[in-house]
Amino acid sequence: MTKFNLNGRAVETIDSDDTPLLWVVRDTFKLKGSKFGCGIGQCGACTMHLDGIAKRTCILPIIAVEGKSVTTIEGLGTPENMHALQAVWTEQGVPQCGYCQSGQIMSAAALLETNPDPSKSEIDQAMKGNICRCGCYPRIKKAILDVAANRKVKKLQLSEVATGPFPEDVS
Amino acid sequence: MKGWNLTRRGFLKASGIVGGGLVIGYMVTRDGPPLPVADIEGALTPNAFLQLTPDNMVRFYFPRDEMGQGAMMGLTTLIAEELDYPLNEIEVLFAGAHSAYNNPDFNLQGTGGSTSMKVHFLPLRQVAANMRALILDAAASDLNVSRSSLTTHDAQVIAGDQAFPYAQFIETASAAELPESATLKPKTEFKYIGKEIARIDGQAKSTGTAEYGIDIEVPNMHYAMVKRCAVAGGTIKSFDAVPILATVGVTDVVAIDSGVAVVATSFWQAKKAVAALTVEWNLPELANISSQQIKSDYQQALQDEKGDSYSEGDITQGFTAASKIVEREYWAPYLAHAPLEPLNAVVRIENGEADLWSGTQFPGVAQGLVARYAGLPKEKVRVNSTFLGGGFGRRGALTHITEATQTAMATNKAIKLIWSREEDIQNGFYRPASLMKIKAGIDERGKISAWQATRVGGNLTPSVLGVVLPGVLPRVPSGITNLITGAANSVFDGWSIDAVSIEGLIDDYDFANKEIKHITVDHGLPLTFWRSVGHSYTAFAKETLIDELAEFAEADPVEFRKQHTQDNPRLQQVIEMAGQAMQQWQNELGRYVGFAAHGSFSSYVAEAAQISIENGGIKVHKIVCAVDCGQVVNPDVVRGQMEGAIMFGLTAALYGNIELENGAVKESNFHNYPILRMDAAPTVQVVIVDSDEAPTGVGEPGLPPIAPAVANAVYAATGKRLYAMPFRL
Repeated sequence: MTKFNLNGRAVETIDSDDTPLLWVVRDTFKLKGSKFGCGIGQCGACTMHLDGIAKRTCILPIIAVEGKSVTTIEGLGTPENMHALQAVWTEQGVPQCGYCQSGQIMSAAALLETNPDPSKSEIDQAMKGNICRCGCYPRIKKAILDVAANRKVKKLQLSEVATGPFPEDVS
Repeated sequence: MKGWNLTRRGFLKASGIVGGGLVIGYMVTRDGPPLPVADIEGALTPNAFLQLTPDNMVRFYFPRDEMGQGAMMGLTTLIAEELDYPLNEIEVLFAGAHSAYNNPDFNLQGTGGSTSMKVHFLPLRQVAANMRALILDAAASDLNVSRSSLTTHDAQVIAGDQAFPYAQFIETASAAELPESATLKPKTEFKYIGKEIARIDGQAKSTGTAEYGIDIEVPNMHYAMVKRCAVAGGTIKSFDAVPILATVGVTDVVAIDSGVAVVATSFWQAKKAVAALTVEWNLPELANISSQQIKSDYQQALQDEKGDSYSEGDITQGFTAASKIVEREYWAPYLAHAPLEPLNAVVRIENGEADLWSGTQFPGVAQGLVARYAGLPKEKVRVNSTFLGGGFGRRGALTHITEATQTAMATNKAIKLIWSREEDIQNGFYRPASLMKIKAGIDERGKISAWQATRVGGNLTPSVLGVVLPGVLPRVPSGITNLITGAANSVFDGWSIDAVSIEGLIDDYDFANKEIKHITVDHGLPLTFWRSVGHSYTAFAKETLIDELAEFAEADPVEFRKQHTQDNPRLQQVIEMAGQAMQQWQNELGRYVGFAAHGSFSSYVAEAAQISIENGGIKVHKIVCAVDCGQVVNPDVVRGQMEGAIMFGLTAALYGNIELENGAVKESNFHNYPILRMDAAPTVQVVIVDSDEAPTGVGEPGLPPIAPAVANAVYAATGKRLYAMPFRL
């Protein structure tokens, strides 16, 4: 059994210790916003924050999450209360197929937490672990720069995002 | 939540999986099979696409698929415009499978070939305009005023200083005759078409609430993964299910057509178990083939010069008139599509009915495949489409739907099948490899007098037929569908040329004397459409040779292209526009520029690339792209598709390579099949021709020119011509 904090809520799971966090979040806790893309930490579609740091969760065994705090895209913001990055992503039409965007936004949010005013090359370095097969990179970069410029970034504190939606279990 | 509503909750509701009950019903129509639209009491449903509910909501049954290309935004814009209904408040639902939703270009319910706006621009506007006219007719009757005294504004009928919601007139409208040819709005009155409006799917995709096939869950669902032969076409000799069945969570191990399916109660259990499974295979002929062999077989075929040809003008005369003749060969490898969402499908079969949840480019074919392998009539199969996490052609080849259905049948369970990334790269369908040769002559005036092109490789059409036919003809035995596919193979090997194999190789320019030849050599790796199809390799050959010819003619590459597009004014115009934009670039030390242009999917694109050579590699800095895609419905979607196609094409130009070793694909995941990343992505400036021509393709035409533009820039930088993709200095 592993206990951890998911979007501000204390949770526990009996998934086997080697189960990657991604699948625990997606299939046990039914938060489907984080995606499976490669399974080897190469594409970043599964990016979540672990104690505030962007992590590839498709290769992170759940046992390593014991006692830690996990934030997913659902914990970052909701359609009704979007994070500044999500709002700009929406306004600027960043996503195409959209499948990588949760991971992109989680990486961008972690970057802005530690570096509120990144240069273009700092953005490249922070974001190059996230593949966008549709090639939305110019828009992703512009959106991050605009959010930084507008100083809209909310301080991401887990206490403030305790309303992470747990949709009713469809099963 | 009011407004656009394809969030998780909205989708679940529409697809009938909330609370286990079926919300969606089947509307009974007077003729033909019932339409898969919601049976809502008191709603007005004048056609397969639109539904006005008593609370004045409009539901749009979106007939195409949304894989990133923006068709959902584009087609919803058409509805909002002619129905005079707020764009952001239309509830968009993925249409179920029904011939009413066929793509007129395919006569199938399919999305591809950059056709969505081209085929729907007028018909969907007409559908919406007719519905608005019907509401106005009913309002005139109900209010007892003249029809001409009424107008509409944002979902309301306006009568003098009074406004009435559309829904107020549903009852009268339901009994009235539907107008068939209501007048469409003139361009000057457009509120939405041609305007800068953010995509309606942006918010769901930025908040993790957009739903993809991989996100679907149904009660008592089990997870399946399939062990397939490393060599395409291999069949099972033997396998030992016993140790795998003893693994925690595993419930079934069953043989299906494509391999051995392992079923478990979680994805992780299925993934571990399938990795531990050993299968002995009967290997096909392809197992003796490696990439080197394929290249040398193609080379041999090129020398043997057998094949089918087609010509215009007098090629012999053309070469006689030439003062200089050049002959070059070009190589393009097999490529995987690698959409970021791995293939998946959820299939549930119970009580003589089946449900499929998946994002595919051919929902109608998918319905047929489920019907075929579940032994049900097509009408008993509901297709619940989702967003596609990338398509690029890959989600048109639907063997994963067959796998999920066969596994569900064999285990009597609701199945969610997921492919791993490794399976996606190694067990898929590929962009065909091509060897091309072009021999061209220029005369003393610097005009191209002869253009003779040959392509060697496999043909797409028979391969695609092989995967599509079993779904199109679910009741026809596989022996017959195999026979038809085999016949197609023969037709393109000695009788005729498969147009998509050579598209773009002899077009675009004023070639008075030209000849195209095709030589079919196919080693059996499964092939399918890959973003921009034949153009993805023909533009590279054509446009790098044009650059060489310009040099021989001592002409500027942009001017040379303009001189040779007298008969192709729309291509000439984008060449001019991109050329002018390129002139704005400052000369920067160590930066070099290359140019290319190509017409595809009835659109015209020219691109210039600025590069430098850094640490022995190619660094692409800037791109300018000029596009003529006819009348533009959403400029930002057009720009996005040009940007995306450029990145997709750069991945192929710089990295893309699928190699075979003993018939098996060597690459396996993103570490050895790399995709362009942000630090390698150039900036892109897109200029769009202001046009009143009919809308044409947008999703694919931005791709073909990028590889040759970069290759030509590399020549400017290094003096070395590139003749093979991916580029190696």
